[in-house]
Amino acid sequence: MKIYFATFALIAPIAVVAAMVPTVGLADGHAAPAVCGTGEAATGEPIRIGAIVGQTGPADFSSAAKSAAAVFACVNANGGIDGRPIEYLIEDDAWNPENAANAAAKLVTDQGVVAMAGSTSFVECGTNAGFYKDNGVGVIAGVGVPRECFFSENIAPMNMGPRLSTLGAAIDAYENNGARSFVCMAPNIPNVGGWFCEGLAAWGADKGVTVANVLHDPATLDPTSLVLQAMSSDPDAILVAEPAPAAIPIFNAAEDQDLLDEALWLGPTSIYDTAFPDAVGDYWDGAVRAHIEFNALDSDGEDNQAWLSIMESHGQSGDPLDSFSQAGYLSAKAILGVLRDIDGDITRDAVLAGLKSMTPMQSDLLCGEWAFGEGARHNANQSGRIATVKDGAWEVTRECFRSDDPELADIAQ
Amino acid sequence: MPDLTPFLVTGFALGAIYALAGLGIVVLYRATGELNFAFGALAAASAMVTWQAHEWGLHIWLACFVGIVTATLISAAYGALVSAKVAHRTDVIKAVATLGLALIILGLAYWIWGDSPRRLRLPLRALNTELFGVRVTGARVVAIGFCLVAAIGITALLTKTRMGLQMRALADTRDLSALIGIDVERVTLLAWVGSGVLAGVAGILLGTLVRLDPGVLTFMVVPSLAAAILGGLRSLWLTLLGGLAIGMLEAVATPFQTIAPYRSLAPFIVAIAVLMVLPAAAFRSERAS
Repeated sequence: MKIYFATFALIAPIAVVAAMVPTVGLADGHAAPAVCGTGEAATGEPIRIGAIVGQTGPADFSSAAKSAAAVFACVNANGGIDGRPIEYLIEDDAWNPENAANAAAKLVTDQGVVAMAGSTSFVECGTNAGFYKDNGVGVIAGVGVPRECFFSENIAPMNMGPRLSTLGAAIDAYENNGARSFVCMAPNIPNVGGWFCEGLAAWGADKGVTVANVLHDPATLDPTSLVLQAMSSDPDAILVAEPAPAAIPIFNAAEDQDLLDEALWLGPTSIYDTAFPDAVGDYWDGAVRAHIEFNALDSDGEDNQAWLSIMESHGQSGDPLDSFSQAGYLSAKAILGVLRDIDGDITRDAVLAGLKSMTPMQSDLLCGEWAFGEGARHNANQSGRIATVKDGAWEVTRECFRSDDPELADIAQ
Repeated sequence: MPDLTPFLVTGFALGAIYALAGLGIVVLYRATGELNFAFGALAAASAMVTWQAHEWGLHIWLACFVGIVTATLISAAYGALVSAKVAHRTDVIKAVATLGLALIILGLAYWIWGDSPRRLRLPLRALNTELFGVRVTGARVVAIGFCLVAAIGITALLTKTRMGLQMRALADTRDLSALIGIDVERVTLLAWVGSGVLAGVAGILLGTLVRLDPGVLTFMVVPSLAAAILGGLRSLWLTLLGGLAIGMLEAVATPFQTIAPYRSLAPFIVAIAVLMVLPAAAFRSERAS
């Protein structure tokens, strides 16, 4: 996998999508969603906000920043922040810690961003957490994946995180299907796969739940062996805690072995991809359940509809409409709320103070309130839903419930 | 001690694809003296084009044909346009040139298809069978069968035909081959065409059995190269056995918790062990011997 990462980095130019986002109104002439504000196109001194994403590399993690960019474009077209437009600067770390460090230095030191919002990266949190703290930069990560994103003073992810999402899928099977033995399949990446699966063991320790882990090299070419290994402990449920593209071969291998009825098949938000039901095929209809960290992509709530509307009017052609994109929308909404509440100069210190004291944000995309918080670490989003593959699509089959991870004991609900 | 039989069965089929790719690398090396790092990328191109053609409505077998033709054309184009230009450079430069081709194909594939979840399925259910309690899918049966057929066919080509003789002569001494009247460019092109066909088939099989992802398929060249090294970049049958051994070793490591996360190191471990144990003479090319 390291070879894969390194080689890809060779061909992946460190793309810099530094954009003074466009200042155009809604194409259809309708009023902009409330998050965009009201007024004429903003022309004042730009307010710089940054984001670091893993765009080029094993997977494209730029979706959240793309939707945040669309929101900021909409804001700029509708008055900005007291007439000042948002200048949103996105850097690609190409899944490379050195690039991530360079990107943070460029955004914080050279460009002078007042905050970060919509970042999504496998390597960014671990690399830059100390740098952000030292420089007083508040970061709303669109989607946090590794443990470091949830254990840093200046980084607050908008999502629950794969650990809580994986646990949520298990809790649903425990409560609704009586599952007591689980297999957790996850990539063997430090502070990633093992951390996800440890959450199950910690939660189930006093519930008579057994958990067997199948941690594997992400570059493995043999999903059938992984599936056979998972089945060897005869589990009630198997959690496939993988990104959707990596989960597909596991479900294919399970289908080849006709294991549909041998266990419950579950996954975290990472498999909640609109292409997933079609990619796994009819065999899994009604059988695969995913825990989702935000509301359904087609839900009718105000924020979900605003997100879709903004992506339609201000997104770029080809921007994904997925959970990560929803997270980017929420990240933008949260930072906009803080910026609008600041009296006086919008400085880095003022934004960080505003984040820490912000009024908790409510949204139909979330199950509860979200706030940055004062604590030494942040994991405000703790509740999600269950969606099931049905008729070639996802259908929400359980509404909000909390992932009761003992590790959250130091964080208020 | 866990029951390793199911893992040996699944590893055998995976190893067959490693072996098939290894054969493609060895046959090109024997014919042209070029180590093709782009084999996996050509396989990826074949698999992705097959998927795309099928998505556009082509029958799956016709789509497979289009995919294999695509890999073959790219391989042939490289053989005709680039390979000929670097023919007189060192082996390292020639190998690095193929790495360039691999990265270009990989970059284009990600640019065109991204990393969305998708799958490729071949209608081979009729060939499904069961062995030691493990379902062996039709695609695995085809992979094993095609690998054996390829090994036999390539051996026959290289040892029994005039073209094979010319290929071996070319790999030995390119200039002398030209002097004795061998159409060097034609033979080189045919070697690249053959390698492209093998890459095309391997890509479709691997895309079906493992994962339809340009990056994963491109880096399939790593275990395949290890298989080729086990064959001394010369012996087709040792390459075949090497590929099977790597696939099975990788699979049987799965139930052992302490080593399972590192089982994809199997190709390197096997290759290094063989390089250390076997005498250097075993790896000299025919040219040297």
